[in-house]
Amino acid sequence: MLKIIIPTIMLIPLTWLSKSNMVWINSTIYSLVISMVCLPLMNQFCDNSLNLSMLFFSDSLSTPLLMLTTWLLPLMIIASQYHMNKESLARKKLYITMMILLQIFLIMTFSATELIMFYILFEATLVPTLIIITRWGGQTERLNAGIYFLFYTLAGSLPLLVALVYTQTTLGSLNMLLIQYLAEPTVHIWGDSLLWLAFMLAFMVKMPLYGLHLWLPKAHVEAPIAGSMVLAAILLKLGGYGMLRITAMLNPTINFMMYPFMMLSLWGMVMTSSICLRQTDLKSLIAYSSVSHMALVIMAILIQTPWSFMGATALMVAHGLTSSLLFCLANSNYERTHSRTMILARGLQTILPLMTAWWLLASLTNLALPPSINLIGELFVTVSMFSWSNFSIILLGINIVITALYTLYMLITTQRGKYTYHIHNIKPSYTRENTLMLLHLAPLLLLMIKPKIILGTMY
Amino acid sequence: MFRGALWLLAGRGCVGRGLSTRSGGSTPDWTEKVSEIKKKIQSALPGGSWDPLYDTSHLPPEHSDVVIVGGGVLGLSVAYWLKRLEKPRGAIKVLVVDRDHTYSQASTGLSVGGIRQQFSLPENIQLSLFSVDFLRNINVRAVKFPLVELGLHCSLYTLILTNIHTGTRVSLRQEGAKVCLMSPEQLQNKFPWINTDGVALASYGLEGEGWFDPWCLLQGLRRKVQSLGVLFCQGEVTRFSTSSSRMQTSSGNEVTMKRIHEVHVKMDHSLEYQPVECALVINAAGAWSGQVAELAGIGKGPPGTLEGTRLPVEPRKRYVYFWHCPEGPGLETPFMADTSGAYFRREGLGHNYVGGCSPTEEEEPDPGNLEVDHDFFQDKVWPHLAHRVPAFQSLKVRSAWAGYYDYNTFDQNGVVGPHPLVVNMYFATGFSGHGLQQAPAVGRAVAEMVLKGQFQTIDLSSLLFSRFYLGEKVEERNII
Repeated sequence: MLKIIIPTIMLIPLTWLSKSNMVWINSTIYSLVISMVCLPLMNQFCDNSLNLSMLFFSDSLSTPLLMLTTWLLPLMIIASQYHMNKESLARKKLYITMMILLQIFLIMTFSATELIMFYILFEATLVPTLIIITRWGGQTERLNAGIYFLFYTLAGSLPLLVALVYTQTTLGSLNMLLIQYLAEPTVHIWGDSLLWLAFMLAFMVKMPLYGLHLWLPKAHVEAPIAGSMVLAAILLKLGGYGMLRITAMLNPTINFMMYPFMMLSLWGMVMTSSICLRQTDLKSLIAYSSVSHMALVIMAILIQTPWSFMGATALMVAHGLTSSLLFCLANSNYERTHSRTMILARGLQTILPLMTAWWLLASLTNLALPPSINLIGELFVTVSMFSWSNFSIILLGINIVITALYTLYMLITTQRGKYTYHIHNIKPSYTRENTLMLLHLAPLLLLMIKPKIILGTMY
Repeated sequence: MFRGALWLLAGRGCVGRGLSTRSGGSTPDWTEKVSEIKKKIQSALPGGSWDPLYDTSHLPPEHSDVVIVGGGVLGLSVAYWLKRLEKPRGAIKVLVVDRDHTYSQASTGLSVGGIRQQFSLPENIQLSLFSVDFLRNINVRAVKFPLVELGLHCSLYTLILTNIHTGTRVSLRQEGAKVCLMSPEQLQNKFPWINTDGVALASYGLEGEGWFDPWCLLQGLRRKVQSLGVLFCQGEVTRFSTSSSRMQTSSGNEVTMKRIHEVHVKMDHSLEYQPVECALVINAAGAWSGQVAELAGIGKGPPGTLEGTRLPVEPRKRYVYFWHCPEGPGLETPFMADTSGAYFRREGLGHNYVGGCSPTEEEEPDPGNLEVDHDFFQDKVWPHLAHRVPAFQSLKVRSAWAGYYDYNTFDQNGVVGPHPLVVNMYFATGFSGHGLQQAPAVGRAVAEMVLKGQFQTIDLSSLLFSRFYLGEKVEERNII
């Protein structure tokens, strides 16, 4: 793992020592190379994990997420190039440094063996994200958004710290590979419920769960494009990853604790999809759709069947790429018209047809069109939810329909129809933007061929 | 006993209050401090906008989808229709920027307030018809429109003409305006106080013409628009940040198209300004629209090209006089416009009248200030008035004021719609004296152009900016 972490750390001096006309190029290319270095990890030849050292390991759950993280850094740098144009050189370098720092923490989080190390880095990722949102965000509301983001996540994860320290003292070790064997199912005492809650709450806030999701639309809308991308693609998945790891050691006799969260997720999934239908702000629509998709992941993880774990993992990777792609598309709109309102920039198909092709593909993957990996994830989750409770198929079915509705609504409003007069002299698509969209879509489309690599540990 | 105790306490409280006020205001100071602290805490809590360094509540927001430059009746009308026609509700953020919240120099408040359909241009007739309909139904329109007492006196507008404009009559009938023509004898019969010397024909609006209180309309629109969520800001637009791109027309000529990204709004009496990022700018600045257009770079180019075509709107000063005449015409007095260009209307119920006259090109007053020239009344207006209405030979001018026309020097008709080169600036200005009466309809037209890409209710494509470059004058014959 050091062969990934050390080069990522060295990206920082690379950024600061580059000449002004080479900063973006250097950081993009070298981060792409690092993601290539990550690829051999995908070669998981046993059901167990690849134990690289005392501190780091990678198994078939953490590898796809790790791959997603390292893939996303060059994409974030490409996406930020335009709006950082007018800033001073030192600010640009600082921005890239924040992204790289975030990357380092995320890599270490996903490959951590000890749960305490996972926790420390989980919290550490908040700091660069907060700096990116509040310093480089768009409007005055970003301060509000930063506060919501920081305090929701912090408040949720403090109980986690207590629970982890307690488990360390009782079980003796918090090594992820060991705890699944060390933890024994005991007779249920009510303190176990509290422990369950303490473990799960941090990740629920991060996912986010429907009742605790208030920070997400704010943070996503106010963040600059790189902030939105990393938030949607990876930070949300930290919650899912954490839940998947922790459930291995939790006491199965307290599984009844999951019922309130199942209800919240089922209901919240339909609610947030419906909110999307009435949104006028493009970024806000994509943010709420993230909540809806993540609710599916929460439900899948809570019912703990092999199929649902496979679905959760696939959905996390697929949603990461799709959501990030949609944010990039929305940002390309925003850079041209300086407004996030959907109805003010309509009929783009006549003016930017290639961008429409990307919009179409992004929308199709967002609404889980077969045979995309989004569908695999959703389908596995739906099927396992049906076997858990027959009734849930109604709500899941409604959600799938509403997802299709709002995605197509977004596509048709921005692309079709008569174009508004004031957009007919917007700048044509840059090659950089087309590259960005293609780099998002290529993994999405290629993974259709071998989805086994993103199906996680239960395959 | 309980009540007695309460009464005692209340009494003591009163005494205590009396003592403190006598001592000179130490208590009010404390409550002010407390409310200030409360305000600070409230702004720092999540849910409120918070700037850690200083108070920015007087500044406009950093981002707004549409910025309307000019808060007079045209700007407010555009804001109202934008909010009314947007689907879904609350989609667009609109900001109205006006230099002067007291509207001391705005043409709206200083206007005489007449409304008529007797124009020669079909578009003008349609605009006025729509506006009259809007004004008539203003109180039953959307729920919660604050009661606007407009005082729409559906009295009649009589235009006394010296030659017959049959074209006018036909187009008026076609558009549905109810106008009838009267011969001098019929005119004498109907209004015995008129001297019909030199009159060939009179046209007399039967319905939908008259006058109303423009200040009421302005305040009503302002309150309604605020309730719909439009933000107001007092400030002056000093700069537009634009970006330009060179494009080629289909015939191979190169043009530079511009896009406005930001509007710099400068605060009153200070150097502080706020760059407002916007997608669209609507120029409804009235008499000063020409200056605003120049800020956006309209007219900077070699003359004779599209880039070099300025917005030909400039302020022209017009005087309005208020006089009292005890023997003057009574309650049935219409808004009368004479052959010589002088006009007057009844104001109130005490034999007071308001009127004036547009000066000829040679005697245009200097628009630098709003000082009234009383000699103008003596020399130019009174003789015509006295000739037409003999009772006006003895009148007493009570007061007078001056206001600006946003005068379109090209053809005295309004400019509506987008600019061909500065792509996201829309105009709603230049109506040269009939802007107030056409404001509701023009607002709707501009809102449709913004939201739907074309004019839908009334087709105003002949009033677009491009006519200045192409030289196609859209002339209106009945100008007051």
